Amino acid sequence: MSPLYAVLDAIQQAGGPVSLRQLGSELDIEPSALQGMIDFWVRKGRLRLSGTEGVACAPAACGSCPTGGPEACPVLLHMPRRYEIAG
Amino acid sequence: MSRACCDVAARPAPTAETHVRVGFHVALAGNPNCGKTTLFNALTGSHQHVGNWPGKTIERKEGHVEIGGSRITLVDLPGTYSLSAFSTEEIVAMDYLLDAQPDAVLVVLDAGNLERNLYLATQILETGLPVIIVLNMMDAAQARGLHIDVERLSRLLGVPVVPTVARSERGLDALKAQLAAEVMRTQPRRPERVVDYGREVEREIARLAALAGAEPSVAAHYDPRWLAVKLLEGDSAVEARLAANGGAPLVSTAREAASRLENMLGDEADILITDRRYGYINGLVRKVVTRPPLDRRTRSDHIDQIVTHPVFGLPIFFAMMWVVFQMTANVSSHFVDWIDGVIGGPLTRWVVAALGAVGLGGTWLESLLTEGVIAGVGGVLVFVPVLAFTYFFIALLEDSGYMARAAFLMDRFMHVLGLHGKSFIPMLLGIGCSVPGVYATRTLENERDRLLTGLLVPFMSCGARLPVYLVVGVAIFGARAGTLVFALYILGMVVALLVGLLLKHTLFRQREEMPFVIELPPYRLPSFKGVLRHTWLRTREFIKHATSIILIASVVVWLLVSIPISPAGSFANVEAGDSALAALSRWMAPAFEPAGFGSWQTASSLVTGFVAKEVIVSTLSVVYVGEAPEAPVEPSTFVQDVAEIGLSFAQAAWDTLRATLSLLPGVNLMDDAPEEAPDAALVGALRQAFTPLSAVAFLVFVLLTAPCVTTMGALRHEFGTKWMAFSVGFMLAIAWTASVLVYQGGRLLGLG
Repeated sequence: MSPLYAVLDAIQQAGGPVSLRQLGSELDIEPSALQGMIDFWVRKGRLRLSGTEGVACAPAACGSCPTGGPEACPVLLHMPRRYEIAG
Repeated sequence: MSRACCDVAARPAPTAETHVRVGFHVALAGNPNCGKTTLFNALTGSHQHVGNWPGKTIERKEGHVEIGGSRITLVDLPGTYSLSAFSTEEIVAMDYLLDAQPDAVLVVLDAGNLERNLYLATQILETGLPVIIVLNMMDAAQARGLHIDVERLSRLLGVPVVPTVARSERGLDALKAQLAAEVMRTQPRRPERVVDYGREVEREIARLAALAGAEPSVAAHYDPRWLAVKLLEGDSAVEARLAANGGAPLVSTAREAASRLENMLGDEADILITDRRYGYINGLVRKVVTRPPLDRRTRSDHIDQIVTHPVFGLPIFFAMMWVVFQMTANVSSHFVDWIDGVIGGPLTRWVVAALGAVGLGGTWLESLLTEGVIAGVGGVLVFVPVLAFTYFFIALLEDSGYMARAAFLMDRFMHVLGLHGKSFIPMLLGIGCSVPGVYATRTLENERDRLLTGLLVPFMSCGARLPVYLVVGVAIFGARAGTLVFALYILGMVVALLVGLLLKHTLFRQREEMPFVIELPPYRLPSFKGVLRHTWLRTREFIKHATSIILIASVVVWLLVSIPISPAGSFANVEAGDSALAALSRWMAPAFEPAGFGSWQTASSLVTGFVAKEVIVSTLSVVYVGEAPEAPVEPSTFVQDVAEIGLSFAQAAWDTLRATLSLLPGVNLMDDAPEEAPDAALVGALRQAFTPLSAVAFLVFVLLTAPCVTTMGALRHEFGTKWMAFSVGFMLAIAWTASVLVYQGGRLLGLG
């Protein structure tokens, strides 16, 4: 199977979440090239980017949430980006 | 083998006597961060000017270089990953190549990321323009042990390939010689066909290319084969260009061809083309790049093999969090004592003295300020060091890249349990604060997933509950409080997962989760400045919160404590037990009797805890400390107070340093004196009010009880009043049941 389809196939066949590094290693594709393929599938709507980098905190007016923007969010700043098969 | 390539390689460098061609234009193309601009600067030096591409805000750099008497104009194109219509940069680059028709294109490739960089290179090769491949950053690739067969790459691509290190100007002479050869060329050089798109696609390409070639206005501007490929790909920018110049029939024909291919091969033409292009590149890289076996496994990979291990990963994560809580409890306790001493000592004395100086000593205002505001807000502010150290350690883990692994681990764990893996993100946010956690459920596309996750988020122990755990934990369990706090966090997660499973198999039967791939950033050394910045931002939020909502809540609690319900007292001069708050709480207290904390004081703190969980601490302070007899205080001057603050701070810093060093294995710089509790009066009262078993039951209730009003507002906003009411009722029921089970179960086991 060619690398582009192999990427999609490997994600579909994985029993659970798989990291980009694992995937690149399994398919013998450079991580940066793999990212390019993932971006392509996202553009084509076969994969969906579901990362939450910089998740917005609640509005500043509320009481218990940070008012200093996402950077002031307790515990978490940046979540890893996730790409899932678009159902 | 490419004739053009080998001819060029054999050609001598031009001299000043040879033929000079005027107005030679060269474009520099390449992926972002491939060293293209460094190369441009190295070639042009100061002979360059910067502007913008027409109608765009993208920077346009143009410069010139004299080679063998020829003046060559260089244009630095925007960095792009492909030559399509996906971004403004790509359109700018493509327009320039098509409209300006440069005499040569330097395609700069990052030698360490050849597979990705070659994608753009193959597309530019297809334009038919004369290409020179610049294999840049060769030093970095060599440092990684990569060996690239440059000659073979040149042969397979059919164009010259020049290895360089633009940063140190290595290989620039060879590149200039190559450019000089291009200047000298009398016949245009056209790259050979590189990618074979397969029989069916090639047939359509040939058909379209023939049509394009037969149309003089089209053939004069575009390479027919390149145009055919772009039209089959459905490139909107190319279609628009062509349609604007009378090529609309060709666009229609191409769409029909693409549709035929889709019917025949079962997928869209652009996917088929991209697939073949990646396949070609993958094969090419395998032929020309040799890498050492260990290259595939970076240091991050080695660490990940352990910390994201399917079996060991979760215990490592929990152990890591336990260490964080232990370190936080041990290291911060000295600053907790210091702040408590400052608030309860000098600050209170100054307020009392100031009020006395203006004739308000002993009035309700003094009571409000000292017993309401200072006791309430101060009772929460005491825990600023604890939170600051917690945020510091978490930021450290986050900045190092570990928290991304934690998310990955938990994601996998939840997937195993049958829950939506993405639910973990809002839930992890909920550990800090439930409100952003609830709002973060918006990242879930499925409405049922959103609602289920929104209901689970408040079960995660939010940061506001931490002061409650600490004040009760330290008072009752002393040095073992860290373990208790850790256990409570774990319990919150476990209950959330169990409730999730219960709801998933009852109210929320849902579809299977889609598989996914996750991007884990490489590990890095945390930036101390960045960690401090995040720690400060988060701590500042807590302080802001403590001085706004909690201030109001403390005043309200003080008012309820100050309003007498019997003739024995007057306003602000009443025993807490005779106050309005006590009357309200006594009515509710029996409900908590089976859980072991049926006093009106604890009931009152749970009532006010609806405002914000930290208020539980301030309420306990007000209702208990208000009743405690005041210790005699030695009179002191302002200067003595300031000196005391400074000295006690120095002592706290010294003790913190010793405590930190004592965390190292085999080091013990601390004496074994019992840890001083944050507020002696409150601790004494809590020790009388709680047994260890009832304290645990109380904290379990605090952990699992209905969220604060702000979270309720967020739940109502996101899911409506019905689901908010369900969440409150459901959590209250679970909290009461769990705390009763803990207390009664513990008694049955003879624990209390």
